Amino acid sequence: MIPLLILTPLILLAALGAVWKARPVHAALLLALTLALNAILYLVLSADFIGLIQFMVYVGAVAVLIVFSLLITRPGDEAEEIARRPRSLVTGLACSLPVLAVMLFIVSRFENAGQAVADARSVSIEQLGTTLFTTHAPAVMAVGVLLTAVMIGAALFAREPGKKTQTPSDS
Amino acid sequence: MSLLAVQFAPFPQITREALPLLPKTLVEWLLAGFGAPEWLVLIAGFLVAAATVVGVFAGGFALLSLVERKTLARAQNRIGPNRAGWFGILQPVADGIKMLTKEDIVPAKAEKLLHLLAPIMIVVPSILALGVIPYGREWIPVPLELGLLFFFAVGAMTEVSIFMAGWASGSKFPMLGAMRAISQMVSYELPLMICALGVVMVSGTLSLPDIVDKQGGFHLGFIPAWNLFTPWGLVAGLLFYVCSIAEANRCPFDLPEGESEIVAGHMTEYSGFKYALFFMGEYLGLFAISGLGITLFLGGWQAPLPGLDFVPSWIWFFAKLCAVIFSFLWIRATFPRVRIDQLMRFAWLCMIPMALLTLPAAAIWHFTGRGFLSWVVTVPLLLIPWVIITVIYNKRLAPTLRTYHFAE
Amino acid sequence: MTPLAMLLTLSSLMFTLGLLAVLTRRNAILVLVGIELMLNAANINFIGFWRYGPSDPALTGPMFVLFSIAIAAAEAAVGLAIILMVFRHTRSTDLNKLDSLHG
Repeated sequence: MIPLLILTPLILLAALGAVWKARPVHAALLLALTLALNAILYLVLSADFIGLIQFMVYVGAVAVLIVFSLLITRPGDEAEEIARRPRSLVTGLACSLPVLAVMLFIVSRFENAGQAVADARSVSIEQLGTTLFTTHAPAVMAVGVLLTAVMIGAALFAREPGKKTQTPSDS
Repeated sequence: MSLLAVQFAPFPQITREALPLLPKTLVEWLLAGFGAPEWLVLIAGFLVAAATVVGVFAGGFALLSLVERKTLARAQNRIGPNRAGWFGILQPVADGIKMLTKEDIVPAKAEKLLHLLAPIMIVVPSILALGVIPYGREWIPVPLELGLLFFFAVGAMTEVSIFMAGWASGSKFPMLGAMRAISQMVSYELPLMICALGVVMVSGTLSLPDIVDKQGGFHLGFIPAWNLFTPWGLVAGLLFYVCSIAEANRCPFDLPEGESEIVAGHMTEYSGFKYALFFMGEYLGLFAISGLGITLFLGGWQAPLPGLDFVPSWIWFFAKLCAVIFSFLWIRATFPRVRIDQLMRFAWLCMIPMALLTLPAAAIWHFTGRGFLSWVVTVPLLLIPWVIITVIYNKRLAPTLRTYHFAE
Repeated sequence: MTPLAMLLTLSSLMFTLGLLAVLTRRNAILVLVGIELMLNAANINFIGFWRYGPSDPALTGPMFVLFSIAIAAAEAAVGLAIILMVFRHTRSTDLNKLDSLHG
């Protein structure tokens, strides 16, 4: 419980920074921090495998991808970053605050939240692997096809339009 | 805890295998003797074990900086540092004093907090990664069940910190160096993980001490059962070797920090102690990934011949580490730097297909009995695509004849 | 407040923050940041219920989170590729400027 009490405000502060900060690179780095704290949360909840996968995939790949794209799409050295108060803040708050209210209402009405399960609930890696490839095998195959399609699609998107792959003919 | 309550338990037996654990055993025995509570003995033991590992590898880093300069010098037909002590042995001390007493310059356009955090965030993952490698039969700092996954997870932290170092410096060369470094690290991390995946598949475990245990024993009486001496292991081991050079940003893959190209890449705007931290992080990362390669493919702390078990296992590990690091230095002295497009092409068009092929090769090797038949079946599966890839790769990218245009 | 209730509150707040980012940010890439936050909030929910709920031999919690992480990574890749393509055409990632289909 105590690690949860320490982690929750940190995660929320980092997420708030990711949502609110004006400079894009700061927001992206705060997203990386949020994801890393999330991974630590999973480790605290004894989901070891998922926590380490979160580190590897989200912090190591997705966050890096986002900061890389921010570098490529920089507005240029002389342009300033986007202004602090977004124009549609009122609309945004009007749409998201009701969602928050409904979710918190459901959480407060949740009666079984009282039992803290005593066992550590840690799962061995063999169990995880066996369950993944027997019970959830069709899902694994579907995700494999999806990821291959995504890789090919992203590579096609990223090509320079109108040119074949460049071969350096001379230095 | 009072000195009047001193009653020491008998000092535990220290075998040669457990010799590096001597500081930890000593501290725990002393504290328990003085009547310290359980948790204090435990925490003190952990701290001393961590300090041992960090101390050994920091000392190794200092020694390596000297050995590297001497080796490169000899390869280039000169002598290398020999002024700062007998054969230059005090050169690392001189370098350390120089780094520590230099002025710490931070550019005016730099982001102060990120600029400060970046070197720390590069050293921390390397030290964390050193904690899960089994150095000896009884010397493993943290025996994790998911050790290999932990290693790759902390490796992923390095990428974000290189970006922070490059971007927070606020100038063009670091930015360019950081972009190149990130693209290189991401591209070469894939074959690294796929090769490690082959080892995990055959060993059936993610825990590094268990992977080393499974490589015990000898074929035909004298060939060690290391993963390198299997058909898929040979290919996967070589790919892992090349990828670890790329991951550690060493020549021929040191484009992110090539001195003749972009000054020092993401480390350009750093001086003094922060630069020393970058340097240390890079070399500790090199130790970590070489240690992982030795654990996965070269049998970790296993002895190479049947009769040599009397030598303690950690000596074998460090001997293999020295051999691998020496080969890295040799390669640095020999090869020119690759260009960024050659680098990307090599990773995506040559290494990833070969790495992916090692997976079915490992599976076939396992299911055909791991004997002579497995070799016969698996070697063509790996050799023919390799020949096709290298022939195609070489034909398409061979440089055409240069035409020189001179001003008339 | 029990641990499960705290986790659910955390994930609700994080989801709302992600939703706010999607609705108010002008830079297209920062909208993607919001989407990642929302997916993470859902993942926290799954792990929370797996940890503090009845034991499940099919390990639905970690399995679903595994697939969710994989799909989120794939979606981030494709989303960023699309944003980069649009950037090549219009030299800007400002969503307010991408209104050529506006009536």
